[in-house]
Amino acid sequence: MSDNAPLLSVKNLATTFETARGEVPAVGGVTFDLLADETIGIVGESGSGKTVLARSIMGLQPRTNVRVEGSVQLDGTEIVGASEAELRKIWAVDVAMIFQDPMTSLNPLIRIGKQIDETLRLRLGLNKSDAKKRAIELLDLVGIPSANERYMAYPAQLSGGMRQRVVIAIALACSPKLLLADEPTTGLDVTIQAQILNLLDQLKSDLHMSMVLVTHDLGVVATRTDRIIVMYAGRIVETGTTKEVFAQHRMPYTEALLASTPKVSDASHTRLNAIPGRPPDLLKLAKGCSFAPRCQYATERCHNERPELESSGSPSHLFACWNPLPLPTNRTASSAGSEA
Amino acid sequence: MPDRTKLLEIQNLHVNFKKGGQTVSAVAGITFDVYEGETLGLVGESGCGKSTTGRALMRIVEPTSGSITLGGENLSTMKGRALRKARTKMQMIFQDPISSLNPRRRVRDIVAEPIDCWQSSKGEERTKIVDDLLHKVGIDPQVYGNRFARQFSGGQCQRISIARSLAMRPKMLICDEMVSALDVSIQAQILNLLEDLKAEYGLTLLFIAHDLAVVKNISDRVAVMYLGKLCEIGPADLLYAEPAHPYTKFLLGAALAADPNAARPDDILGGEPPSPLNPPSGCRFRTRCPNATEKCANEEPQMQTFSPGHAVACHYPLVIHSKSA
Repeated sequence: MSDNAPLLSVKNLATTFETARGEVPAVGGVTFDLLADETIGIVGESGSGKTVLARSIMGLQPRTNVRVEGSVQLDGTEIVGASEAELRKIWAVDVAMIFQDPMTSLNPLIRIGKQIDETLRLRLGLNKSDAKKRAIELLDLVGIPSANERYMAYPAQLSGGMRQRVVIAIALACSPKLLLADEPTTGLDVTIQAQILNLLDQLKSDLHMSMVLVTHDLGVVATRTDRIIVMYAGRIVETGTTKEVFAQHRMPYTEALLASTPKVSDASHTRLNAIPGRPPDLLKLAKGCSFAPRCQYATERCHNERPELESSGSPSHLFACWNPLPLPTNRTASSAGSEA
Repeated sequence: MPDRTKLLEIQNLHVNFKKGGQTVSAVAGITFDVYEGETLGLVGESGCGKSTTGRALMRIVEPTSGSITLGGENLSTMKGRALRKARTKMQMIFQDPISSLNPRRRVRDIVAEPIDCWQSSKGEERTKIVDDLLHKVGIDPQVYGNRFARQFSGGQCQRISIARSLAMRPKMLICDEMVSALDVSIQAQILNLLEDLKAEYGLTLLFIAHDLAVVKNISDRVAVMYLGKLCEIGPADLLYAEPAHPYTKFLLGAALAADPNAARPDDILGGEPPSPLNPPSGCRFRTRCPNATEKCANEEPQMQTFSPGHAVACHYPLVIHSKSA
């Protein structure tokens, strides 16, 4: 870690969709920094705004019926409000994104080699043969066996895991400083998931990238991130180092999320602490804390006044709650219960 | 422990699909029993044949060979009305809760469909049964009973599917990835609900899923499949603590714990499953197995019992339990 200016600085980022039914504040004012070489995990359930947040950082929101406010500074360049021409200059070179579905993020009618070449020729100005050489190197780098032959393959000829490796190769083609990975392993089998996550980890340290890892799966972020952001209903409800969030979380939602996740280390038939209810409708957000209707500790104040993020004592650890959980003094591992 | 009456017996089940003149053996001869009152988890990666097994048991896909016996009745040879009648005792819940329900029908009618089909009750009694079921799955029939299926979220649709599956009081439920499309907080609600209903209605479950933590949570015993074959079957806690099949060990090693102190899986399984069009000779896992020898290529390992209830199909199992030594 360095004490230089952060690579990515997100300030009060708000993304609002204007729909026929009203305005949907999918991301409602998010602020965080990401340092060089750092990996941050963004976790939350569906509809919590994590994907919209990642797409807004990338500048991928459509221009109509969407309002993006606030600021996203990537290495000094402002992304919010940037024109498409400006964005094209930073895409692939400064920031690249991996999407969830490796089946649909590749063009099925174009050979994978050509899809990697495109970025190299367009962004780095390589000629045809250099681009091909580099593309084969990249395929090799992401662990695709017999890269020479696979260069000519169509996406349909590859398995899901292999396609995700191709998507990663495209994202890495111009050695971006920041990689946004949106659910990169969802939909893949566990053994393939482990392969891909290890690959991302290794590439990240080899290429000195920073990474934003967006996922619903706490298992994915537990051992692969430096810091975690927990989102609920479009806002950050807790953020801290990975250890702080798992072991010293103060926000009841974080606790509930951990407690409702089944664990391989627990005996079979361990009763899960399910959270009652379901996430709120973003069209009808209450004025208080969004989690209050499902929270077992909620008081009058929680329903009426929205808590802002405040420090828990450690500068890296923030949470938004009026009735935070007490700081664990002797909690050795997470309350989620790691195996003794 | 569940009592040891066999409710469902599956003998040498094969399911073949024809594909462009070739034959894919999706399920290649599996044999197992499900005991009354237990939950048997069936895990494996995509393409291993776990869903096909579940569908073949319901005869949604036709088994190529093998026998399926439910409570003494041979389902595999039944036809027409007899088969439909027998299916009331074994119901299935599918992965996608929203597409399992007709979006333009009202919740009460969806749940009552099996009752109406069999004319098992009418009028007030029918309404009472339906409302009672909805109440049991956590949907208030007074408020939501007349709403359309399309007005519900995924978790609620899965609750409605469960209510419908229970309408004919089945003995057995086959749950095919029934929580994998749900968020964790909703998933926990449904898993708890299933445990409660299982106790209340005395159900037996075959729980098919890819998520190892979910399967362990709900199951008494777990069976592991790879490329159409069973690798290992045993009590959930024992199988997770001491996997005997190398594939089970890799599968468990790749599962990610939601714990920052957990060890990273460094010993991860390389490669991908071979095509079921052309499965390896002998043991189907041998192409990826670090312990494979010539014997594995020549001779197919058969299921053998180690300790009571724990069987494995491997020539070189990893753990030999003290009991069998």
